[in-house]
Amino acid sequence: MSGEHLASTTRRRFLQAAGAGSALAIAGPNAGPEGVAPGEARAQAAAATKIVKNICHQCPARCGIDVYVTNGRVHAIYGTPDHPISNGKLCPKGPLGIYVLYDPDRWKGPMRRTNPKKGRNEDPKFVPISWDEALKVVADRLNNLRDRGESHRFAILYGRGWGASCAGLLGTFGKLYGSPNVPIGHSSMCSDGSIVAKQATDGNAGYNAHDYRHTNYILMFGCGFLDAFRPYNYNMQVWGYIRGDKSPKTRVTAVDVHVNTTLAAADRALLIKPGTDGALALAIAHVILTEGLWERSFVGDFVDGVNRFKTGQTVDPTTFEEKWVKGLVEWWNIELKDRTPAWAAKVTTLRERDILATAREFGSTRPAMAIMERGAHAHSNGIYNAMAIHTLNALVGSLFAEGGLMYQMPPPYGALPANADDYLDEYAKNGPWKQYPRIDLKGHPDGYLLARNMMQDVGPNHLAGRPYKLDTILFYCTNPIWTAPNGQVWEQALQDVFVIDTSPFPSETSHFADLILPDHTYLERLQDAPTYPFEGYPLTQLRVPAVKPLYDTKYFGDTIIEIGKRIKGPMGEYYKKLESAENVIRHLAKGFEKNPGDNGVDSFEKWVEKGVWYKKPYLWRQIRGEFYEWDGKGYNRRMTPEEVKAKLLKTPSGKFEIRSGLLEANADWIAAKTGRNKANLMFPIWEEPKHPGGGDLYLVTPKQALHAEGRGHNIPMVIAHFQPIVGGRGEAFAEIHPETARQRGIKDRDWIKIRSSVGEIRVRCRYYEGVRPDTIVLPMEWGHWRAGRWSMAVPGGHSGECTVNQSDRITGQCNYYTTKVTVERA
Amino acid sequence: MTKWGMVIDLEKCTGCQACTTACAMENSRLPGESWQDVLFYHEGTYPNVKLSWLPRPCMQCENPSCVAVCPTKATYKTEDGVVLVDWDKCIGCKYCMIACPYGVRFYMDEKPVVQPDLREVFPGDGDRIWNPPYKMPDHLEDRKKGIGIQPKGVVSKCTFCYHKISKAPKGVADLDEDDPQTREYVPACVRVCPPKARYFGDLDNPNSRVNQLIADKRGVRLKEETGNKPQVYYLAGGGAPVIPGERSRGRG
Repeated sequence: MSGEHLASTTRRRFLQAAGAGSALAIAGPNAGPEGVAPGEARAQAAAATKIVKNICHQCPARCGIDVYVTNGRVHAIYGTPDHPISNGKLCPKGPLGIYVLYDPDRWKGPMRRTNPKKGRNEDPKFVPISWDEALKVVADRLNNLRDRGESHRFAILYGRGWGASCAGLLGTFGKLYGSPNVPIGHSSMCSDGSIVAKQATDGNAGYNAHDYRHTNYILMFGCGFLDAFRPYNYNMQVWGYIRGDKSPKTRVTAVDVHVNTTLAAADRALLIKPGTDGALALAIAHVILTEGLWERSFVGDFVDGVNRFKTGQTVDPTTFEEKWVKGLVEWWNIELKDRTPAWAAKVTTLRERDILATAREFGSTRPAMAIMERGAHAHSNGIYNAMAIHTLNALVGSLFAEGGLMYQMPPPYGALPANADDYLDEYAKNGPWKQYPRIDLKGHPDGYLLARNMMQDVGPNHLAGRPYKLDTILFYCTNPIWTAPNGQVWEQALQDVFVIDTSPFPSETSHFADLILPDHTYLERLQDAPTYPFEGYPLTQLRVPAVKPLYDTKYFGDTIIEIGKRIKGPMGEYYKKLESAENVIRHLAKGFEKNPGDNGVDSFEKWVEKGVWYKKPYLWRQIRGEFYEWDGKGYNRRMTPEEVKAKLLKTPSGKFEIRSGLLEANADWIAAKTGRNKANLMFPIWEEPKHPGGGDLYLVTPKQALHAEGRGHNIPMVIAHFQPIVGGRGEAFAEIHPETARQRGIKDRDWIKIRSSVGEIRVRCRYYEGVRPDTIVLPMEWGHWRAGRWSMAVPGGHSGECTVNQSDRITGQCNYYTTKVTVERA
Repeated sequence: MTKWGMVIDLEKCTGCQACTTACAMENSRLPGESWQDVLFYHEGTYPNVKLSWLPRPCMQCENPSCVAVCPTKATYKTEDGVVLVDWDKCIGCKYCMIACPYGVRFYMDEKPVVQPDLREVFPGDGDRIWNPPYKMPDHLEDRKKGIGIQPKGVVSKCTFCYHKISKAPKGVADLDEDDPQTREYVPACVRVCPPKARYFGDLDNPNSRVNQLIADKRGVRLKEETGNKPQVYYLAGGGAPVIPGERSRGRG
């Protein structure tokens, strides 16, 4: 593989740089024993320590990291200084990579199960197998399925996809092989509620990019900006600037169900009843309209300039001229006119005066932005909570504005070595697989017509044989048997299906695996990764192996290519053309030749050296209600409404649709499946959330700063520092309000039982005045029943075993934060 | 003469613990051996609860009580103002741990914070307490300064990343991670700090950034009443995360 070659390239380049005198920085502290002359020390250190570029793997943000390697040992990781996201900095997860690489519980090579029985307490009896044998086992299964016309029964489920050389290969694989289930992403178990709400209103099915540095107000709904929101590292860099250095200081209101570091550091903390964020957003919108605080240049105005938005009174739509929004007056008449702060105070349990003050601040400060993630929308009413919140951005004109929100541009990658369309055989084009829906019923009227994925339903659907039974599932960077709500169902579901896991680490999924094809850990990989939504301008980065793989592992991209080569017919030929993941990445980098990055990266070799390609600026900006495109010098070229529709507001109307065209077009289906009213279901409306579970306390299971997407639970350093707010060292506590606890005879640090209609767990609790009395907060991290030795030793159960598998019927968003539970002393 | 000091701006600090994990990485520390820690406090009653936090490295006191009580002179103050431990002289009596007003000295020969015990998974060679595969490069270790993996039965503490700062060019006022010329000499906790809440430099240089911040933003030291005169200053200019109040101090 490429590791050795790349490492030596890096080292050669480093030595060249040293010759030019720019290596002083690294030479200094790594110099040899005292007494050695500075020049000699520098040469000695240069020979001993090298820095290799990589990208952090602990969250989606993709911070560039400098990996320090001395005599073949990786001993330090720092942020890459000339990387736009990390800027030389790290979040608390960044340094953990050294422990990931040297985790003694890693798989040492491919493994085959010998015990046909599967279950929590069944020893899989894994035995080593060679890569050639393992890949042949997979290819034989896939070829057989295809020969039988059952290729739809093969699924690939993936979690954190990084780039074109890993998850980016999977769509092509599905098309060539012939399965609607290749791949199924995890986004419905992540934050699709946000993505679909944005698609419904501004036409962009994506997370937002943000211009935090220039905003003067941030209204945060359940997104843990200083706890877990990505890019966490950059969020904190921005925080230091907007709260410490910027004039004027950016004002912040944060909404959540317990006091976390975000709420503590904000100017105003609003402890809201779970699932009611939409009511707060509606009341804020109500005040913005009644008090005339909306951004007229973007929203439009009454023809005569007289504000007719008066509480409880309808408005004649002909009196208002809308500019870049659609449906504002209809929304007012049908929903908003009665959504007063006093009304919202009853729904949310917040104080009316706080709602009013927040609305006035947010409405009168420019630029301002409202941001949210699944704290706000992981409920049955999530689509409407999220639409209401996002509409606030339209009302204050922050879409595509300086200090506002935009969408991420992709990198100008080069073409792959072969065009997949040239390798489709008759089976791929017209085989029987074409008649089958996806196993998760994504995009199907019986399931989730408008969702983007429904991974949480793969297990239950397979178990029920509805719409059919899978034969083989391959997992990449995901462990839904544990992370899915009510994962106990998956334990039954995975018994009669051939399971292939590709994680470098043991997990619940690998415990049910028939075959383990372990990936490298990230410091051993050559892997591309375009940025997660950041500041809009295109940016993509590279993992370069810091050391040769410690064990007999294989990069997932190469595993896929190798399986592909073994499929009969033209598909196999396609993957022979791809050759290897490194070859794919070299072809991607050809796109930089005509598009050199701002840092001079115009080739694969320079990408390896710098670790990142990026090109500023973002190409579009909305300025006082007009859209402009960058002309090379400034935002000077005014865009036509048609261009705005094609590039920015991609809705049917080319406007921000408060009356959603997407929902309206599917109104019959939505009404049939949810019982909603066809007259108003396309607007951001208030709807009481449905809380399953049968208990009296809300169970909310947030991420913590050290939560590394399931890749940190076996790291002792994470266990030691996981939950500092309530003193969680060595375990995770359930945060419980002292009064709630006392009513149940529960003392501080007692073991408690948390029970819902689907399961019961035991955890220890801590009294915390900062959590709502009607809510239990238990971080989702531990309670693993099959994982590494440290993870398994952490006491306490897993929140997912009490979480009911309920999803927002429109967005498909898994409702992680909505189950109600009963709590008693254990 | 250089006198190294640190300024921590609590208005910017987000309580993320990057300082803690970076310190552990750079200095090969065990879980719980938090040379650099962040302490959390909360006070008040729902819904008005004040949550605050305090990042806490060794204060590298001008007048360190740990040095005064050490019976073997193992703990000492360097010429450039850093308190170090000579592990060849330390007898593990822990007087210094009792004398330190800030709780920043560690004795790791007891029950580990996280089990299974890493010292058994990565057993030490010779008399080292453990031997992790990710430990710092051999040539940086220095038992006379308490740098690297300690032997059994000694006390360890923050060295201000002495293996880095002691290699800095002579006479430099600031060790700033944003300056390529000084980046590699900056202590790990300062270098990674994402909101740039930490500054490091020479307290004896009137032009240093640390002196400027202490003056402009009214730097304070913890527990001045002890007379220890810390060389770590805090800025607490009225933002949310400030030094914990009396109400919270007595509670666990």
